[in-house]
Amino acid sequence: MTAATRTALRASIGSFTFHGENRPALGSAALSVTPGALTAVLGGSGSGKSTLGKLLAGWLRAGHSGEFRGSLELDGTRLEFQGAPDDPRLNPAEWSRRVAYVPQDAAAMLSTVRATVAEELAFGLENRATPRAAMLRAVERTAARVGLSGLLDRDPATLSGGELRRLAVGCAVIAEPDILILDEPLASLDGAGAAQIEALIRGLCGAGTGVVLLSQAADRLAGEATHWTVLVGGVVTAEGTPAQLAGSAELERSGVLVPVVGGRGGEPDTGDRETGVLEGGAQKTGAQKDGVAAPGPGAGTHGAVAPVMAGLELNGVSFCYGGDSRRRVGPQPVLVLQNVNLTVRPGEIVAVTGANGTGKSTLLRHFNGLLRPAAGEVRVCGRNITGVPVGTVAASVGLLFQHPRDQLFERTVLRETLFGLRELFGKAGAEGKARAALAAVGLSAAAETVHPAELPSSQQRLLALATVLAREPAVLALDEPTVGLDRTGLEHLGRAVKAAAARGTAVVMVTHDLAYARATAHRILQLDAGNLREI
Amino acid sequence: MTRTHHLHPFTALTAAVGAAVVTTAAASWPLSAAVAVAAAILAVRGGVAGRVLSAAAVILVPLCLSLLVLHGLFFPEGHTVLAEWGPARVTAEGLEFALELGTRTTACVLVFLLFSFTVSVPDLLSALAARRIPPQFGFVLASTLTLLPAVAGRLDRIRQAQEARGMVVRGGLLSRMGTLRLQMVPLVLALMDDAGSRAQALDARGFGNAGPRTSYRDVADSTAQRRFRAAALVLTAAAVVARLVVSWPAGVTR
Amino acid sequence: MSKPALTVPAPGQAAGRSRRLLEIAGAAAIAATYVFLVLTQPADIANGPASFSALVALGGFLLGAVLLIIAVLPVLPTSTLVLIPVALVLNVVLGQLMGSTGLPFYIDAIGTVLIGVLAGPAAGAATGALSSIVWSFFNPTVLPFAAGAALIGFLAGMAARWGLFRRFYFVPIAGFVTGIIAGVISAPIAAFVFGGTSGLGTGAIVSAFRAMGDTLLAAITKQALISDPMDKAIVFTIAALLAYALPRRTTFQFPFVRRFRVLAGKSPAAPDA
Repeated sequence: MTAATRTALRASIGSFTFHGENRPALGSAALSVTPGALTAVLGGSGSGKSTLGKLLAGWLRAGHSGEFRGSLELDGTRLEFQGAPDDPRLNPAEWSRRVAYVPQDAAAMLSTVRATVAEELAFGLENRATPRAAMLRAVERTAARVGLSGLLDRDPATLSGGELRRLAVGCAVIAEPDILILDEPLASLDGAGAAQIEALIRGLCGAGTGVVLLSQAADRLAGEATHWTVLVGGVVTAEGTPAQLAGSAELERSGVLVPVVGGRGGEPDTGDRETGVLEGGAQKTGAQKDGVAAPGPGAGTHGAVAPVMAGLELNGVSFCYGGDSRRRVGPQPVLVLQNVNLTVRPGEIVAVTGANGTGKSTLLRHFNGLLRPAAGEVRVCGRNITGVPVGTVAASVGLLFQHPRDQLFERTVLRETLFGLRELFGKAGAEGKARAALAAVGLSAAAETVHPAELPSSQQRLLALATVLAREPAVLALDEPTVGLDRTGLEHLGRAVKAAAARGTAVVMVTHDLAYARATAHRILQLDAGNLREI
Repeated sequence: MTRTHHLHPFTALTAAVGAAVVTTAAASWPLSAAVAVAAAILAVRGGVAGRVLSAAAVILVPLCLSLLVLHGLFFPEGHTVLAEWGPARVTAEGLEFALELGTRTTACVLVFLLFSFTVSVPDLLSALAARRIPPQFGFVLASTLTLLPAVAGRLDRIRQAQEARGMVVRGGLLSRMGTLRLQMVPLVLALMDDAGSRAQALDARGFGNAGPRTSYRDVADSTAQRRFRAAALVLTAAAVVARLVVSWPAGVTR
Repeated sequence: MSKPALTVPAPGQAAGRSRRLLEIAGAAAIAATYVFLVLTQPADIANGPASFSALVALGGFLLGAVLLIIAVLPVLPTSTLVLIPVALVLNVVLGQLMGSTGLPFYIDAIGTVLIGVLAGPAAGAATGALSSIVWSFFNPTVLPFAAGAALIGFLAGMAARWGLFRRFYFVPIAGFVTGIIAGVISAPIAAFVFGGTSGLGTGAIVSAFRAMGDTLLAAITKQALISDPMDKAIVFTIAALLAYALPRRTTFQFPFVRRFRVLAGKSPAAPDA
């Protein structure tokens, strides 16, 4: 009884500012965590959720990582920080043992120096000089808890996304923390993987661990929380029980994704979870009509101009990995694409779905020649692209990758967008096009001052989208564009894609979020066993 | 393959260091050649001959060619002139010098490559930790080995992403340098970002702790191996001392 | 009370002094070895392949590098330590990329210099020495050059500390000077341990000096004075460009950068390259 009502961790944050920055990443925010309870911190991309989580768990430390004013109280020990040199210094090992944090990128949790899952789990115990016998027992117990018992001898580098996330959680809980902070624990997991993590979280709460969920979606898991805290721009704007906050204006303004019954799933990246798929499947015809009706005008006007040249045409394209390099050892080449035909008219939005690993990204990489078909041909605006360098095809085909970070390399957002535009539009036209593209994705304010790497990941993707849109390509290819976007990001994405289609761009998006595809696309194709078929 | 796995990493390391030092101290090309051949045979028996020999060839072929040309043609200290073209003189002493140094380096390179391609890195880390070598050293070694292949993949992703943004790699040096800069920036940035969060994770998991550590992995050792290591170390030290004693006066007076 | 504390005391000065002594011992070992080798170099190398000098060079320089590592490594913050593998990988990968442009330089220390600039001379030296030791896993011939690599990282850190990286035009000069010092220090290794240099270009230069009657050490030292300063000037320049391209949040996480204003005033002076 007392244990359940006692507060284990209480944080009161005045401000936290990273070194070298003028604007605080966190403003006034307060949070209490009770043992055995699930608490959710909800906020859009760039709201400071991860910074808050890392600050609470000692990953970011006062003085070491930035300037912190405020206080942290753990189990009766209260530490005050004034941003002065004689502030208390956290012992990260001991603090994090009791308040553990699992980052969104689970791979960042791993030491990279351990050869097996078992040794990776034991890494934290080794550093605390736990006797070997106790270590063996703890590894076995933790592995069973996070469902990795069968994988103890595997190399962590070979784990799937869901297994990796469970390993990261295991690395945190093996030290038996009082509090566990999970940053977007369901991101980029499929339905089965998400269900395992959800069950694990429930088990931890049941065993008395206080769990803090950092999420940009008020989804089913967040709905189980006893308390919500809404974070906007590093400041807490609302808190209360889910019932109090669901549907409130504060939640609406925060950019948090709220699942809509029968519509888009709460997590865009886990759209193939049961509810969304089943709902959507039942209303298939209706949803399809809706989908066509909304962006229809763009397609309609182009359809009216009698014989329109296809923006993108794939004729009998086949592709297999390993087919071009026979000397490579391995099993016989796997046919990823098999006689694929696809025609996308200007102004048309086509979505391609399919399970993980069916070759959706492979298909996309054929559009601009990053991959070349083993048989068949790819035509862009009627021209065969065989033998044309990727960089040249890129003038007509804009491809947005899953990891926007790889596409960005300039020092400001504007320079990033301007890259290569002068050759296309001349010096005078380039800046106008760049600014228009930035405005279209809602990044105008950041143009001159912000380094692309300092943008939150959601906005990095939008910036990458802007760099592609600014070139006004005839074909726009998007690889899982919704992953990691908050509601504001999704809205900008949706508007930008519609606007591009209205200008006559042929859009192909690969997504495993079926609900989103229904809402946006004119046609949905499923890639299955190397074949495309309409659904 | 199985045999090398039963060897304690330190036994293999001691053997490699001992062989290299004794070879250097002995300065006799027949011994160097014998050590090189022995290393090659062990590599074949260990099933790593292909990797060891190809890695060694990349290092040794340019070095040995360079030695041959340098000392074979230009060796002012040489007396026995075999042939002469203008400033270049082929001398017996020069050729012997090139042979001595070439075989010595070949022996050392093969011995060390044999060690690094047969040792189990996790075992080595565990053994280092057990000897209270700072864990930071093992971390740098193992983390580098994990990062290297990952970076190659990442660089490929960056190149693809940038080509998709209209980057065309042209022939000119300046253009290529420019392209290179654009590839390096995201690579360095991503690596440093990852490193930053890895540091936080490592600190959180107690990596920064001073004081003793334990090891989950158990590395088998034996009395015989311990004795072998002690003997090898004594032999190595003796070889070094002998060389220093023999050559010292010569070294100073000349 | 047996539980470890949630806070740690501020770092004291006492421990720092013994570390400093180790650092000085390491540097002294390297310097003394160099002086000894130059003074005792065999005038007539025809009598044997300089086995004595090879052992002294290997022993002295490796001892110095190991002392430096022992002094620096345990006190290196984890945030710097995790960058050493990154630096090493950058040394290798960027070196290969630069090699693909066809320039006749090694360009194999970009990562080391970058760490020196961001984390200071001690971290730079440890990075250089550790890089050599770890890289010798794949190429054992770089192991003997550990001391030279440590020197490059150390000098890069000192250059950054003196503010030479604040102005872009000072950077190649700092690299040039570093190249002179590091090249001269590393020459005995090339001469006594390997008997020459690897590669056709450098080999031809050494041959030319040998043809003029120089001793092997003199010929290799002169060759190093020709190629190393240019090489390090390029390496420093690339490292500076990379440092300028990093966002402030990344560079300012390093106390060294904040304390010595290493990159202050970078925006006006940084060209587009």
